[in-house]
Amino acid sequence: MSKRPFVCVALALLVGLLGVDIGWAGEAPISGGTLRYAMIDTPPTLDQHVVTATLGTTISQHFFETLFTFNEAYEPVPFLAKGAEVRDGGKLITIQLRQGVLFHNGKEMTSADVVASLNRWGKSGARGPVLFAHVEKVEVDGKYGVKLYLKEPFAPWATLLAFANGGPVIYPKEVVEEAGKEPILPKNYIGTGPYRFVEWKSGHEIILERFDKYAKRTEKSDGYAGERAAYFDKIVFIPVPDPGTRVNGIKAGDYDYAESIPGDLFEGLEKDPAVKTMIRKAAEFGEVFFNQKEGMMTNPKLRQAILAALNLEPVLRAAIGPEKLWALNGALMPPGTKWYTKVATQGYSQNNPEKAKILAKEVGYKGEPIRYMVTTSYTYHYNASVVIAKQLKDAGFNIDLQIYDWATLVSRRAQPNLWDLFYTTHGFVPDPMLYTFMSPAYPGWWDTPSKRQYTTDFTSGLDAAKRMEALEKLQALFYQEVPLVKTGDMFTYDIFSPRVQGIGSSTLLNFNRFWNVWLRK
Amino acid sequence: MLKYMGQRFLSMIPTFLLAAVLVFSFMHMMPGDPAGVMLGDTATPEQVQALREAMGFDRPIQVQFLKWFAGIVKGDFGQSIFFHIPVLQVIRERAETSLFIAVLSMALIVIVGIPIGVISAVRYNSIADQTFSGAAMLAASIPTFWLGLNLMLVFAVMLGWLPSSGFPSVFGSRNLSNLRYLILPCVTLAAPNSALIIRLTRASMLDVLKEGYVTTARSKGLSELVVTLKHAFRNSLISVISVIGFTFVGLASGTVITETVFSLPGIGRLVVESVLRRDYPVIQGVILIIAVAYMLINLLIDCCYTFLDPRIRVS
Repeated sequence: MSKRPFVCVALALLVGLLGVDIGWAGEAPISGGTLRYAMIDTPPTLDQHVVTATLGTTISQHFFETLFTFNEAYEPVPFLAKGAEVRDGGKLITIQLRQGVLFHNGKEMTSADVVASLNRWGKSGARGPVLFAHVEKVEVDGKYGVKLYLKEPFAPWATLLAFANGGPVIYPKEVVEEAGKEPILPKNYIGTGPYRFVEWKSGHEIILERFDKYAKRTEKSDGYAGERAAYFDKIVFIPVPDPGTRVNGIKAGDYDYAESIPGDLFEGLEKDPAVKTMIRKAAEFGEVFFNQKEGMMTNPKLRQAILAALNLEPVLRAAIGPEKLWALNGALMPPGTKWYTKVATQGYSQNNPEKAKILAKEVGYKGEPIRYMVTTSYTYHYNASVVIAKQLKDAGFNIDLQIYDWATLVSRRAQPNLWDLFYTTHGFVPDPMLYTFMSPAYPGWWDTPSKRQYTTDFTSGLDAAKRMEALEKLQALFYQEVPLVKTGDMFTYDIFSPRVQGIGSSTLLNFNRFWNVWLRK
Repeated sequence: MLKYMGQRFLSMIPTFLLAAVLVFSFMHMMPGDPAGVMLGDTATPEQVQALREAMGFDRPIQVQFLKWFAGIVKGDFGQSIFFHIPVLQVIRERAETSLFIAVLSMALIVIVGIPIGVISAVRYNSIADQTFSGAAMLAASIPTFWLGLNLMLVFAVMLGWLPSSGFPSVFGSRNLSNLRYLILPCVTLAAPNSALIIRLTRASMLDVLKEGYVTTARSKGLSELVVTLKHAFRNSLISVISVIGFTFVGLASGTVITETVFSLPGIGRLVVESVLRRDYPVIQGVILIIAVAYMLINLLIDCCYTFLDPRIRVS
């Protein structure tokens, strides 16, 4: 018997072990240094209660924290909370807080801070009213306990308490009282996170520093949950609006991490050894909204006609570019999330202009102009809309493509007499109830008895299987009533210096986080 | 002279009032709503309306104007809707970058533009003149963003000599070496503007060199250097000075493309971003200050004229 296979295996094992060893030695976290993050813009405020800007959450999650957060499977798990119990048939939630959690001003977090923060977020926050429409009251339950009384069972409560974007981060009670409904000022950005806010030089940079008294969780890091170790001395967020400059800045070593790089540069950068790329799989998606309050689009059959006409692959290709950065997905939620289902998605991207023509004829459409609003403030909105408009024209619709800057579009879409369709995009949310179109007040004004019924079934049930059933009905209704057309999932990608270690490969991450991340020397 | 300046200064008051009215009216005629932009996509119309009321945008336009103008007179330009800090503080934080850019670029423009313009005129139609004219034409034709990105690629990415972008405050850090961040932007801005000054100086010098008093000076036996610098150059400066003045204000009041390419926190980007966000107090404040800067520069240029040309002083 030849000894060669044995030698080969032994060598392979040795190399493997050495490789692992070298890997460990190279990847051991190192404390120190400054991470320079090139961001696309400046957020309006970092007060998480009041705004939903993604960038605001990316920055502020390093110093503001929530009672719950999400693990890798995007399930809500306790964070500042130690645990929670659901009682009284789902109408009482008792939350136990962790002890010894310090704010950056040295004060210990107690139930008084949590109650003050939850009440502010619930009454005047961006997403708070979604939960607080079902909340009767929030009460202190000893120094480290909080009672949340609900009017009726509301299943997504933990998800809403876990979502930091426009979410219920915990501030000291005094900060909440001083701010009231106004956005909290930078001098009062006092949280419990692994980094603390230091300074915001408007237009220049936002500076964070490691918080040495951080009370970290001891569980292994899992998504946003578990241990949050701060290795950097400082993190500096710098607005770099031009994407070419963000790329050059990484290559020149002026920045360590740059977000949101255009799709047309992806293939070149993926092969470039000077940079690493990371696709953020928490998908954003395009939406063509229909005006269901006024005008011809109040007719669901005409909306179905437009849905039938569209072939969404070229739309995504025009908007984003490389295939790795988009996915044809007609489901309400992206694959990999708890609420993903394929039910009724055969209605998505039908590419059937003949069917569209027949449906349009049935409702008596005679080529009246259809006012389609889009912005050029975001190039990918416009690029997608040009293809959509072309496909609709080819299917016999008279599309009047109206181009505005974003602020004007936002203002006009609130007036139902001014438009028939408008294009926007929606960022990833962990629960379908957080979609803007679930609110009957959102422009488009989707508010039908069936929608209300399925929404109630989905939110009030405590049985997961029944909730899924309700969501499947809601998704089927989405393709029947067609309140909007979902164009498909789009992924942004970032680039970073090979020196940055520990970024990980979380597939559902949508807010870049830099705990458990360090710089190789 | 003092009386003249006093009169000119007084005449600025109605111009200032007109500028204030125009700035305010145009801002509020723009479609779009700061409350809608600020609250984002998840806001309900009720939340947007509540914020509009809290910010006072539901009041009659004349009431809003009077409140704003009364503040201006007291030196209070209001609060930025977006940054939640006083407008003057926002402008102050951005003005450092813009002023440094304006001063350094202007120095480069004058140092390069005027001597080359004079040499081109004196050596009219020579190889040097044609080379300079060709180079000036090229510099004026290159798009700023292209030049900026390529300078960045060569000097920051490939050679690593200079930082690619950004500008850490010189005053804040008390570190003059931060000015190296402005070398590439200033070269980018100086290229087309130097070309303008070269062509203008050359043309102006050529006109003056044909004047009778230059011939007289030469016939008196003065050296060519004295004729050129004392008699021709000084007189040719009148038209160049006014362009230099307005170029300076243009540079100080914002160079949007260069600021964007080099991620500089300057006034130009502030204005564009504020327009997109509908941050009315900031836009109004910046434009009013720019208007005043133009008025003051105009006054300064007029004073320079009287210094350079005694005929204007007498009239």
